Amino acid sequence: MKHEREVAGMRCGEVLARLSDYLDGSLAGEERVQVEAHVAACDHCARFGGVFAATVAGLRRRLSRPAALPAEHRARLARRLEGETR
Amino acid sequence: MTSSDRELLEKSARGDRGAFGEFVARHEATLWRFARALAHDEAEAEDVLQQTFVAAWRAAGELERDDGRAWLLAIARRESARLARRRGARHERERSLEELGEHAGFGDARATPEELGVRLEEEGLLEQALARLAPHEREILVLRELEGLSGAAAAELLGLSLSAEKARLHRARLALTAELRTLTHGATP
Repeated sequence: MKHEREVAGMRCGEVLARLSDYLDGSLAGEERVQVEAHVAACDHCARFGGVFAATVAGLRRRLSRPAALPAEHRARLARRLEGETR
Repeated sequence: MTSSDRELLEKSARGDRGAFGEFVARHEATLWRFARALAHDEAEAEDVLQQTFVAAWRAAGELERDDGRAWLLAIARRESARLARRRGARHERERSLEELGEHAGFGDARATPEELGVRLEEEGLLEQALARLAPHEREILVLRELEGLSGAAAAELLGLSLSAEKARLHRARLALTAELRTLTHGATP
């Protein structure tokens, strides 16, 4: 991996592998501290971590918009179910 | 008082179409989002939706736990897989985490969170990026980020261990980051 280096006892590739766990708050105490120390001293990981977090936040915002079933689809589903016998 | 999924399906199993209609109305939006995430196109998504509710109507007496949503999502996965096999869909080679990271822009000074935040407000950009993902990547993103399933619930539905489920979610998020980068900067893997 380009730009791979070790900072605060953790390599960039190891930070990359832990970004989701970090974001989801599921990283154990010591690893969390290591990731934070690495990111504080590594420009590449700080920038990429920010882009990754912004992507996930943007996805959650977009997906949380209501997405109702279109009326014509509902009508066709109702007709299909009416024709069904058990 | 609102009936539970189990109560509605018990009535449905006795032929009560009104109860089944209530069950459909309760879950149709979730199923539609999920079907669209799994399907190749909108026509296939509608097929998945219809086949799922038809299968649910026929098997209405078979709900084991009082969780109609999880039951329907599992049926939808089977229906979608059947349609994908019929279409002859093939699995792509899985990229290493390092490859995905490079593709997603690790080490690329052009990509900044501020710039991405602005671009993400553009109508349709995220949808385009999502459409470029593999179905199993869209599926995990919809289950976890939209439907709010816990890691354990998603793992059970997908037939994965918890660690495999976490790995799939992480790879899907990286793949989405990579597709957004391709769309905004024209980068190639």
